[in-house]
Amino acid sequence: MAFHRQRPNQRQQNSQLRKKRTCRFCDNKEFYVDYKNEKKLQRFVSEQGRIIPKRITGTCAKHQRMLVIAIKRARHMALLPFVADAVK
Amino acid sequence: MSRTNIYETTFIVNVSLDDAQIGVVTEKVKDFIVKNGGAIRELVQWGRKRFAYPIQNKNNGFYVVIEFSAPTDFIAKLERHYFLEENILRYLTIVLDKKALKARTSAAALLAEQAAAEAAPPAKTEAAVPVKVETPAAPATVAAAAPAPTVESKPVAAKEEDDEDDAT
Repeated sequence: MAFHRQRPNQRQQNSQLRKKRTCRFCDNKEFYVDYKNEKKLQRFVSEQGRIIPKRITGTCAKHQRMLVIAIKRARHMALLPFVADAVK
Repeated sequence: MSRTNIYETTFIVNVSLDDAQIGVVTEKVKDFIVKNGGAIRELVQWGRKRFAYPIQNKNNGFYVVIEFSAPTDFIAKLERHYFLEENILRYLTIVLDKKALKARTSAAALLAEQAAAEAAPPAKTEAAVPVKVETPAAPATVAAAAPAPTVESKPVAAKEEDDEDDAT
């Protein structure tokens, strides 16, 4: 029980420490995510090749939707891995 | 007459063919687009590129990107053409909507601006060099003027570094 009581406090502290993330696409005023720019997409993919959730990257919902499509297109064209070599 | 759209198609050609044969494959696709009522807007060859994962036991491919406008019913024909062409390993055709086209034109404008900015400083220094030779008094002003353009490009690079920090 004590454990449960402590967690919200910790979370609060963390959120206070962490600086507010903003959507990178909104900041740069980009309204389209191109699948051909694999270097840019790589930032939104984990080392294993998984798409990083927007709660971590701070991307807004609208851009995350575009991003997800772009990443999947890039994977189809073998620009990004489905699963990284290290995991295989 | 059905509606026309602007499309972008990317395909990967088998890299074990020689350049002439790859040229033939892309030429075929080009002809196919033109013959079926399409118009090519742009053709970009990325050249040989390593895959992120093997496709048909191959690790490299030759990428070609074509932007074209065509009637909507043409895409099915094009994809069939790709399917029947053995030397095309992968293909992807997407519609370019208004947003994408707008992004493209603005990106092109940005690139042109950057190219103009990059082209400008060398022109300045070239102009400055003969002056330096002729009159020894000039170098001070030249040195003051030359570093200025490099400062312009710096904020962009710094911004990108910031982005990388956030991603981890």
